[in-house]
Amino acid sequence: MKIALFTDLARSAFRRPVTERYPFEKRPAPPLYRGQVSWTAEGCTGCMLCVKDCPAEAIDFFTLDKANKRFVFRYHTDRCTFCGQCAYSCRFSCITLDDEAWELAGGDRAAFVVTYGRPEDIARVELEELPATGA
Amino acid sequence: MNAPATERFVVPIGPQHPALKEPGHFEFTVEGETVVDATVRLGYAHRGIEKGAEGRNWTQTLYLIERICGICSHIHSTAYAVGVEQLAEVEVPARAQAIREIICELERVHSHLLWLGVAAHDAGFDTLFMYTWRDRETVMDILETMSGNRVHYSANVLGGVKFDLTDESAVAILKGVEFLEERTHHYRKVVSEDAFFLQRTRGVGTMTHAEALALGVVGPTARASGVARDVRLDAPYVAYADFPARIQLLTAGDLEARFLARLDELLDSFRLIRVLVAGLPAGELTAKRMPRKLKPGEVISRVEAPRGELFYYIRSTGGEQPDRVKVRTPTLCNMGSVITQTIGHNLADVPMILVGIDPCFSCNDRAVTVRRAGDDNGRAWAWADLRRYGIDYYRRIRN
Amino acid sequence: MTRDLINLLFFPAGLGLIAAGLLYQWVDRKLLARFQNRLGPRWFQPFADALKLLGKEEIHPAGSSAFLFAALPVLALAGALTAALYVPLFGLAPVFSFPGDLIVTLYLMSLLTLCIGLAGAQTRDRFSLAGALRVFTQMFAYEAPFILALLSPAVALMLAGQPSSWQIGELVLSAAGQPWFLLTLPITFVVALVGLMGKLELPPFDAPEAETEIVAGALTEYSGRGLALFSLARAVELVVGLTLVTALYLGGIGAGPLAAVLFTAKTIGLLLIVVVLQTLLARLRIDQTVNLWWRLGSVLVLAQWLLLLIFRVLR
Repeated sequence: MKIALFTDLARSAFRRPVTERYPFEKRPAPPLYRGQVSWTAEGCTGCMLCVKDCPAEAIDFFTLDKANKRFVFRYHTDRCTFCGQCAYSCRFSCITLDDEAWELAGGDRAAFVVTYGRPEDIARVELEELPATGA
Repeated sequence: MNAPATERFVVPIGPQHPALKEPGHFEFTVEGETVVDATVRLGYAHRGIEKGAEGRNWTQTLYLIERICGICSHIHSTAYAVGVEQLAEVEVPARAQAIREIICELERVHSHLLWLGVAAHDAGFDTLFMYTWRDRETVMDILETMSGNRVHYSANVLGGVKFDLTDESAVAILKGVEFLEERTHHYRKVVSEDAFFLQRTRGVGTMTHAEALALGVVGPTARASGVARDVRLDAPYVAYADFPARIQLLTAGDLEARFLARLDELLDSFRLIRVLVAGLPAGELTAKRMPRKLKPGEVISRVEAPRGELFYYIRSTGGEQPDRVKVRTPTLCNMGSVITQTIGHNLADVPMILVGIDPCFSCNDRAVTVRRAGDDNGRAWAWADLRRYGIDYYRRIRN
Repeated sequence: MTRDLINLLFFPAGLGLIAAGLLYQWVDRKLLARFQNRLGPRWFQPFADALKLLGKEEIHPAGSSAFLFAALPVLALAGALTAALYVPLFGLAPVFSFPGDLIVTLYLMSLLTLCIGLAGAQTRDRFSLAGALRVFTQMFAYEAPFILALLSPAVALMLAGQPSSWQIGELVLSAAGQPWFLLTLPITFVVALVGLMGKLELPPFDAPEAETEIVAGALTEYSGRGLALFSLARAVELVVGLTLVTALYLGGIGAGPLAAVLFTAKTIGLLLIVVVLQTLLARLRIDQTVNLWWRLGSVLVLAQWLLLLIFRVLR
């Protein structure tokens, strides 16, 4: 008759529990962590690769004026699967996944839609209810 | 006593039952506490992923495929990526392949430790369950640091991998592996020496070599019965040809052997991870060019998932989307052994025998059309027929 | 009269006992968690669980007797609470006492197990039936050694020619004048403590309610009030059982408040041993449980009694 866990038991009895007391104590996510997507207009050519390869169709892209680089990027946090393919596909590093914005639960659906772009362009997209490019 | 000698009744297990972490339905006919007959019904978690793959482009499908399993996500996406790269005739750099293999092995570690906990819980040994899952956090943290997510690592892209192995990751891996190796040696001692636990595993659910061959089981379940079957060695994929695994064979074939086979595999994975980190080839992370449209053709891709051989069939008709992706997961191959092994055992052993194959139901569930041989009337149902059938079916069972 | 009522309803029996039972349950859960490297519940968790269950709707399953379904939990709790009247709770003198109450207490303690078994057997649920079968099987396994083990101190006193009785109140007083029976009767002490774990269906004897096999065993169909009463009965039985083993094997009861504190500390000490065993051992299959008790438990008790007789003859 051998009882194998005896030493573990003795050790555990004098050890701090390993349970993390989240949300009271938070551990920072690693730098590579894939959280919410953010987009910057700088460098964007409107190639739409991010939209084409998004497996969750979480990105709506509006090309207002391709020559003058007037784009609006609408991101649906609630559809996103955080795979990072958009950031990988983007050749101009316009898209990043945030390692801090990952506590995304919420009770308000509207808050899950994040729109990036110049304020006047966003206003135009919303006022005229433009269809997403390629939709 | 003149009462009927056999008091038989059927114990249904599932679709919702505490022993099952996913839905499946089993009916065990018992006499007293002894199982005399067993049937299984699968398909409760059918998600239509194969059909879904046909409506997405090659890249999108990669992420859909990764979500087939929540435990072995990387191996699914690797199987798919390897197949698609073969179709596209793309050469993947050696460094990318080696990184894929590192993640494959880390995933195996995570999967086997998870399984050990679940199996211990089913045996009513919750302390071991808590300890293994505590230690599993180490490998989860390593994967999170390395890839940016605990479960869906998204390491693969078509033609390579997304991220490199940084020096910090390498240090974290080696440190974690050292700790886990020590723990695994300890758990190996626990499952092979603890008197109470051995009562539940030794000589239970024994499957002989011949039976294992006849039932066509795969993975650690087969290797515990002495069947030398491991895709990593039989048909090396990614970097397994350069960094080979060593097969872990046991002959006893009982539950204890299945525990030991998996724990031995863990120890080999630790060795392999160390070798890979030390000898990681230099080079690019992705192939030069990955076409968006693939040439027409078909390919079979086999990999060794933590549960056994995972099989992919991929067909292209020259478009941006796959024409057909067929997945067969190891659980399906092993399920037959549950039915035969439980017969003659105590009802209390059934959850243990079931968990012994490490079942993963939702990965396994597919829609199947059965056609009898010689039945020319293989009906193809249109949407209207299917709807009609559904209405009739529910009307019939309600009455 | 008033004193009796207070004794009966508030302390040491009645509400005080139920509260103590829930606290003991918390100690059990907390220690188990700490041994497993977890955080464990806060002190009021068992109280919150009991209150929540009491407030919930009780669903009466079709095909079982409504009367029995409602009456069995009440009977189980009543049995446990009655058993508590004859034992020296917290090291205080028993609330009631009469010659032969040791036997009555042991039978009252079995009432809970019987009620749980019957509750399972009278519903049509298959898990309940399988659970009930296991409850009764297990009961027949541990009951005889357990009762014999608890009778051993009285028998030992009798054989030694000391004042002995089947009355708990007197027995524990004469036990106080002896060296601890833990030292003189170590084998039956172990059997009594492990038997208590069997009675309370604690791991490794939790086959009757093994969730991965038969869901919640005999109590699968119970919800709300019935389940709450059963779990309260178990909490009470935990205290009663620990008290009985402590009183008989760990030096009886003394006088004064300090003795009461010491006595309670001893029961907690026993609980600690019970928790360690729960943590260390994997669940036994029901046939293995039966084997263990009949092949090992009974034989050990009989060996202890044989030793007693040999000492008696030699003296």
